[in-house]
Parts: sequence; C-alpha cells; structure tokens
Amino acid sequence: MSRNRSNRTRGAVNLHLQQQKPEAENAVPGPQGSCTTMCPLYELREREAHNRLHRFEILAGTEKDRRPRADVVRTVKEYSRPAAGKDSTRPSDLRPPSVLLKTTCYLIDEIAASPTLQPWTEVYSFVFDRLRSVRQDLIIQRCWGPECKAILERTVRFLLYASFRLCGEPLQLYDPKINDTHLQECLSWLLESYSQQHSTDTTQSQSSAQEEFHALNLLYNLGSTQMMQRVLELPMSMRSSPSVNLALLVSQAFVEQNPVRVLRLARRLDFLQVCALHRHIETCRRKLLLLYSHGYNSRNCRFPVSQLAILLGLDDALTAELCNAHGVTIQGQWVAFSKTQFIETPLTQLRCVKMHNMDMKQKDFNIRSIINGSF
Amino acid sequence: IYVVDVLEAIDNRDGSFCAEFLSFKHPHVANPRLQLSNPEEKCQQVLEPPYDEMIAAHLRCTYAVANHDFVEAYKCQTVVVQYPLRMAFQAHKEDNCKKKKKFLWKMCVVMGFICQAEQQLQKKGKGKVGDMLEKAAEQLMSCFRVCASDNRAGIDDSKKWGMLFLINQLFKIYFKINKLHLCKPLIRAIDSSNLKDEYSMAQRVTYKYYVGCKAMFDSDFQQAEEYLSFSFQHCHRSCQRNKRLILIYLLPVKMLLGHMPTDQLLKKYDLMQFADVTKAVSEGNLLLLNEVLAKHETFFIRCGIFLILEKLKIITYRNLFKKVYLLLKTHQMPLDAFLVALKMMQVEEVDIDEVQCILANLIYMGHIKGYISHQHQKLVVSKQNPFPPLSSIS
Repeated sequence: MSRNRSNRTRGAVNLHLQQQKPEAENAVPGPQGSCTTMCPLYELREREAHNRLHRFEILAGTEKDRRPRADVVRTVKEYSRPAAGKDSTRPSDLRPPSVLLKTTCYLIDEIAASPTLQPWTEVYSFVFDRLRSVRQDLIIQRCWGPECKAILERTVRFLLYASFRLCGEPLQLYDPKINDTHLQECLSWLLESYSQQHSTDTTQSQSSAQEEFHALNLLYNLGSTQMMQRVLELPMSMRSSPSVNLALLVSQAFVEQNPVRVLRLARRLDFLQVCALHRHIETCRRKLLLLYSHGYNSRNCRFPVSQLAILLGLDDALTAELCNAHGVTIQGQWVAFSKTQFIETPLTQLRCVKMHNMDMKQKDFNIRSIINGSF
Repeated sequence: IYVVDVLEAIDNRDGSFCAEFLSFKHPHVANPRLQLSNPEEKCQQVLEPPYDEMIAAHLRCTYAVANHDFVEAYKCQTVVVQYPLRMAFQAHKEDNCKKKKKFLWKMCVVMGFICQAEQQLQKKGKGKVGDMLEKAAEQLMSCFRVCASDNRAGIDDSKKWGMLFLINQLFKIYFKINKLHLCKPLIRAIDSSNLKDEYSMAQRVTYKYYVGCKAMFDSDFQQAEEYLSFSFQHCHRSCQRNKRLILIYLLPVKMLLGHMPTDQLLKKYDLMQFADVTKAVSEGNLLLLNEVLAKHETFFIRCGIFLILEKLKIITYRNLFKKVYLLLKTHQMPLDAFLVALKMMQVEEVDIDEVQCILANLIYMGHIKGYISHQHQKLVVSKQNPFPPLSSIS
C-alpha cells in the first residue's frame, strides 16, 4: 500500500515500524549475521575516528582525549535509518541471534539497571536506541526463534518500566508518544510470535511468559475491544491464569464504568503491571469524580474527603489537588459534589507522576530482576 | 468443447455467460478433462489473446483446486483477474462495458471463494492467510478504483454499477482480517454516490449488514439498529442463513436499546442462546446473565458479540435496582438494600463503595433520576418516573 513518505520523526517512525515486522516464519530465511561483538568492528573504528562514541562506550581514561578510544566490550551498534544505496545486509555487520541476546542482556544489566549511571533519561536514550538496533538486526535476518522472544520480552519490560519512571520528564528528554509507538510494535510482534508457536512445543516457563505478556498487553491497552477479544480467544488454560484473569477483571470493570472497582483491583497488580496500567489510572480517577459529581449531586452533599481519598488511592492532599483541578468543591473535610461545577479537562496541569501509586516504593525493586523477568 | 463455448460467449458479447464459465460454481469445474496443468496450447488453438491466457490461467486454477493446492490456485486466480482489469481500463466506447463488469463481478466472487479456501491454509502456515487476504484486498481495491473513476460512459454503461459489489467483497475481507477502519473510505464513497439507492436489493442488504456491524463495533447503536433492521427486513425470505446471521448482530443492539426479542422469533431462527440472555436482562437477574454468558461463551466469542453482550450488565443492574424500588415502595432507599440484592445475585467482592459507584453510574447515564445521600446512606429518587424507560435513553 502506498503511503506518503515524509521524513518527520514521528511519521517516519510510524512508517518504519509498520514495515518492520519480519515476514512469516516459513518465508525465505534472511542473511545470516556473523558479527560476534556487540558492535561491528567497521562501525566501531568509524565512530571512533569521527568522535561519535557515546560516553557509555568510551574507554576509561580516554574521555578527555581529543579523540577518545572505544571500549570494545562496551561499544554497541547504534540504530541507523535504512537509506537508499546503503547495504545493511552485510553479514559482518549483522549480529546473529545469540549475540543479540547477549547484547540485550548487557544493555539491561549493565546500563539500564546500573546504580551509578546518571541521569536516567540519558540511560534510557542510549538503551532505547541500541535496543532498536538489535531489533533491526532481527528483522533483517528474519529471526523468529526463542532468542527473538527473549529479546522482545526484555524490551517490552524495559519500555513499560521507562514509561512509568520517566513519566512527566520534559519532552526533549523523554517522549511518551515515541515510547508508546515502539512499545505497541514490540508487543504485537511478541504476541504474534507466540501465536505462531504450537502449543505442544511450549514449556512451562514459556507459557507463563505468554500469560504475563497477554496480561500486560491488556492492561496497557485498557478498554480496547480488539485486545479483549483477542484474550477471550485464548485457550482456557491461559485465560484462567492469575495474571490474565486479573487483567480481564480490570478491563471488564473499566468497560462497565466502575472506576471504584478498577482502582481497587489495581492494588493487586504487581509492579510491572502497574507500570502498564498507570496512564489509564488518571482517566479512572477523573471518571470517578465525574460519576460522583452526578450521583451525589445535591445541595447539601457532604462526602468525606478521607473516604474519597481511599477510593482514589491517594492521600488527602493529592485528593484535594485533584478535586480543585476538576472544579470539585472542598469545604474543610467535606466534598460537595455538583454536576454543574465539574470540569472535564483539569484547570491546572496535573503531574501524573505525583499521583503514582504512593505505596509502590520503587527503590525496593531491583530493576535488573524486573526487566529480566525473574522477580 | 468448453473452450469453444467460451469463444462463442465472447463473440456474442454475452457477459453473464462468459462470467459463468469463469466461475467456480459452474459445473465445468468438476470436469476432469478440464483439469490440466498445461492448458495453454489448447487455448491458443481456439481463442485470441488475451482471452487464451486468461482461460488457460483459469484452467490451471481448477487443476490446482482439485489437488487442494490452494496457494497455487490463488496465484492463478490473481493472473486471471489481471485480464478483465486491464481490458476494463482500456475499454473503448464501442465495447460493451457491462460485459467486462460482469467479468469483474464473477472474478470477485471467485476471489471470495479463494479466500474461503485460504482458511484451510491456516492449519499449515498461520502467517500466510492474513497476507494473502490483504493481497486479495489490494487487487479488489484496484478494480474498485477503475470503477469509481469511470466518468466517461453514460449511466447505463457506467462501471460505477460494479462499485457496490466490489465494496461488499472488500468488507468481507476487512472483517476477516479485523481491519475495520479500512471500511471507512468505502462507506464515504457510497454515501456520496448518487447511485446508492439504485443498486439491487441484494447488494444493498449486504452493504447495510456490514455497515451496521461496523457501527455496532463502534458503539454507535442507533445507527447500527437502523442499518441492521433494514438489512433484516429486506433480506429475502428464502435466505434463512443470511437472515439468521443478520439477527445475531441485530439482537444485541436492540437489547441494548431496551427492546427484547420474543421467544417465537428466537425459535424460528434457532437462536435460543439469546433466550436466556433476554430473560436474565429483563428480570434484572445478574446471576443468570453471568451463567448464560459463560454457558454460550464459545458461540458469542466466535461471533464477536460477547463483549457487546457484557454491556447488557448495566441494563441488568438497572432492572434489578428497579425491582428493589418496587419492593420497598419508598423514594428513599437505604444503600444496604442494593447491596443485599447484589449479594443475592452472587456478585463477587462487592461492597457498599461499589454499590455507590454503580448507582452513580446509572444516575450519570440517565437510567435513574435521583441522587445519593452519603450522610444518610440512602438513594433518593425522583417521585416522578425515577426509572425512565430504556428506549428513551441513549
């Protein structure tokens, strides 16, 4: 299908991603990579010569040099846009699946989960770009095997975690829209590769991974009939697994317009599931205020703020802030709901990150184990 | 002999005869003497180009189908379609354009047939089916563009008559590959066409069926009801299967708008699965509703209406709560009463907070006229018509 090829970042990203899923599993196999390092030697020398190394790739001690040296064990192939005349299929430049998996693990364990590398926005940019290059190699080589799934699983977890951690950061440092686009693409690629796998070949750990990601997909795309329908068509064993079942309950509560139930069920989610859901929680809270503005609409309405806070999953101060932003009047300890006074779009710019579930102490979680899936 | 027949049809500019010879429903398909892997020679002896290649491709296709090689069959079919398409594009004024259109029509029906056959491929290579359907859709789109842009010939000969047929085939594919958003430009094209009410009833029924289904999936229930009702009423009495299909989608829409079907109707079309749903919803019996949805889950999910039927829960809540109101005979009902009602329906994990939320939602949607008093833990409803009839809402 012909589309207008423009080079605006987002438009181009969309276009590239649409074409970036490898063809069906039984299609002609692609070129086989032979590069055994995380970065092909050619590119390493090239970037070193032109001073285009990232600071995470520079050999310690040479940072202040006019031309810093590359650290061979820390340099990773970067993403480059496919261009006319550029041959991206040279085997020496392509990394085979086993190397790609090792690269992914390096990026997660040593960079994303590193306690010392700061600021995390920069860590994110680097890992995001290098993971994108990993996916590019997968596509060119038309890989669908177990390494591909393992890489995608980690990528999805990383992007989900990032969407939570970097929520609210300035646009030039983190763009939620771009993160979302890539996340959706990886999710659909991963789920499709699951569906191509025969159920008889699936081991126990593989099916629990599938359950995990079906649940995450459902939560991330809360309210999407298409995703819900897809989950309903899964075999019963998968549908009734705890994670998928819980995700379905949350979805159903959301569709039934029962935000109290959604927020209540959300407390049973694990950390990564909260990351997936969190952008919808704001919608739920707003919905709750809307429904109650109508349901409790009376002249002498007195609804306790503390009670509302419990329902919203926030503390009293944040509850008051949320109410004020939506035109809901608070008099001391009481909320006076009024349907005429409720405002859909918040008056002041609410910072979602402030509302992030407060009993989720992120520092207690080990990033490495979250993204590798072993927590 | 077959080839000679085709030649005769072509010479007589008899479009429908020609089309039949290329159709898969015609008996010639079963004739083993025609199932040749290399029919080119025979064809060249009798027919002129480009017809010889076209017929040859068609015969190769029948051979492939007979051998259950649907991939090959599809490829041949693609070749066959190219010819009428090219001819249509270059049509001169003296040529009878209608003939070619009929070619196209039958081509598309055959395409549709091939698509069905592709479902068998699903067992072997999953990724391929979607791709093939998409390619088929692309071909149909190019046919469609030819028809749509035909501004030359007069109304009687215009290729625009082929548009609705092609659109219906495209709808079929888009629904199968679950890309409903692609239907939108086609719908716009027909809406803006001045021929839209002149097409044959059969085509219009099919068209309204698909558009109605799409409206339903988009939650535009008023429009869905309008289109699906038209489709159902005008569908020919003898097409029981089609009528049943339309009804499967019309019923949930009507129920959401508050109109319950009669048992008689359901029995007539063998749709008794809906009978219990109807009963549960009108009685406000949540327990029964959940049981029925679970019982016929496979059927509902396969038709894609399971999620829509779940929306009936809100109406069921409304009916249940109305019963509570009628029982208590007062305008100020304690919230506890509703909680008890829900617990009797074995709704899991529900407490007073959720009851308040459900009530608030019903009030917001207009199903209940009143308000909740938190201080007194009561629902206070209007003395006049606190539970407005369902048809007056949404």
